[in-house]
Amino acid sequence: MEGIYAIWQRDIIKFFRDRARLIGSFAMPFMFLILFGSGMSGAMSSMIGGSNAAGPLADFDFVEFMFPGIIGMTVFNTAIFSALSVVQDKEFGYMREILVSPMSRTTIAIGKVLGGSTIAVIQGLMMLIFVPFIGVSISFMMVIKLIPVMFLVAFAISSIGLLIASSLKTSQGFQMVVQILIFPMLFLSGALFPLNGMPAWMDFIVKINPLTYSVDMFKKIILQPDQMAPALREAMGLDLSVFNHVITFSQEILVVVAISAVFVVLATLKFSRSEG
Amino acid sequence: MIKLGKNIVEVTGLKKRYKDFEAVKGVDLQVEEGEIFGFLGPNGAGKSTTINMLSTIIKPSDGIAKINGYDNVKERDDVRASIGLIFQESTLDEKLTANENLMLHCKFYNVPKEKREDRIQEVLEIVDLSENRSKIVETFSGGMKRRLEIARGLLHYPRVLFLDEPTVGLDPQTRNHIWEYILKLKEKAGITIFLTTHYMDEAEICDRIAVMDGGKIIALDSPEQLKSDVGGDIIEIATTDNQQAKQKIEDTYQTTVNESSEGKLSFQVKEGSTFLVEFVKNFDIPITTVNLRRPTLNDVFLQLTGREIREETASKHERNKQSMRGGR
Repeated sequence: MEGIYAIWQRDIIKFFRDRARLIGSFAMPFMFLILFGSGMSGAMSSMIGGSNAAGPLADFDFVEFMFPGIIGMTVFNTAIFSALSVVQDKEFGYMREILVSPMSRTTIAIGKVLGGSTIAVIQGLMMLIFVPFIGVSISFMMVIKLIPVMFLVAFAISSIGLLIASSLKTSQGFQMVVQILIFPMLFLSGALFPLNGMPAWMDFIVKINPLTYSVDMFKKIILQPDQMAPALREAMGLDLSVFNHVITFSQEILVVVAISAVFVVLATLKFSRSEG
Repeated sequence: MIKLGKNIVEVTGLKKRYKDFEAVKGVDLQVEEGEIFGFLGPNGAGKSTTINMLSTIIKPSDGIAKINGYDNVKERDDVRASIGLIFQESTLDEKLTANENLMLHCKFYNVPKEKREDRIQEVLEIVDLSENRSKIVETFSGGMKRRLEIARGLLHYPRVLFLDEPTVGLDPQTRNHIWEYILKLKEKAGITIFLTTHYMDEAEICDRIAVMDGGKIIALDSPEQLKSDVGGDIIEIATTDNQQAKQKIEDTYQTTVNESSEGKLSFQVKEGSTFLVEFVKNFDIPITTVNLRRPTLNDVFLQLTGREIREETASKHERNKQSMRGGR
């Protein structure tokens, strides 16, 4: 058990020591939220509600819509890139120090996934700094709800990251694979725009994308769609449904728990078998 | 050899096969507790592969290795708790402080909480790094990093410390320091030290040396014994015509002459000092330099294999052959 803690602790110490990474982690969300989000918000509102929108659709605010997606994106990026440290440890030799110790490979894998998840939650929470600037109202209760959900999502994504990292030997290779993966997953998750009226094949990808359910959970916590007018909710793509069943929050939790379970097992197996 | 102490390392018929080549072709050896045991040989001789098998990093294809009574394959984690490892390449986390590196190691190896502080102080003292305890490793010199690594390898009180080319890439002065620390360790901690090197002078500090070549141990004894087995003294000469001189010496004295890449001929004789006088008087090819010396471990290797051990003096052809043999 202490081994898991030690592996986790190392990642946390290094996270807080790396100022550049800490500051840099705000860059992407800032660009998406403020530049892209604010820039697009006029166009998005008129597309959705028409230029002289009246009624419920006039309430559509694109930046507000994007905010849960940006939290999701941050958690997702941080969690998956945390596994880069596994590849870097291989490159810089530290992995040998870990691998020749009496700790089991499972201990190491779990420690790494937990470390990545924790950092992702911290980064996700840091995104709340943007709240005062974009006019979203977030209550303390929402934050309390967000933390475990963020952790769950981060755990699933970190496991996917570790699975990739265990199969690769160089950081360049890892970064390339992850970049290729990140964009479709992000675009087809509902994080950046409402997923309405998509072609069937795209809709299929959306439904098998773990990020879709993750982002939708953040939306359900922050945007509170059950208090919205049905027309607005539909326009914002908040009625996520599979086989014509609208998915509930607890069902989404189950989906992400299942994804976590599958990938943490796969990642641990792959990590245990990888040469080191 | 009479066995007084307990055998801490016991190896029988250890082999490692890769797809189409055998890196280690059956190694047998016993190491007594408290011994400094060295593996000497050129790159690609199978030293590192053997040490990697002994330290559970790779699995042997065949044979049995036991350390501290534990089987390297079946009781891997017990073996791991009994050994300390210092690799050729650094395995420190350079973004962390010395203290953090050591503390993590204690946790990885289950060093009891209440003992950690004392042990960290103790090992830092052995390698003279106490004052650098809270500095980030990145700021350390190469020698300091090596010392920290040795300190870390000692934290869990291993019974056997494996050092794979511990001084590679360090300047001569730092190298000497590292060896002082290693000898200090042996005296203070009574730890068994298992090392590989291709530096002759370093191998001299070993109690016993196994000379490896082509995946096999070709000689195993104390450095003194190995050298006296060479028999007699070594004469080194350079002449204006080495080819002819070589032929001539071989014909006249019925001995093997080795030619080094620096253009020197060397051969061994009994009673070197009396021989040299006669030899110089009678030799008709002009001699430019002449030198008489006691045999070194390099001569041991030369005699056993017909090749020099030093990688930097190996001919290009030789080096290609070695890299094709792979190993390491």
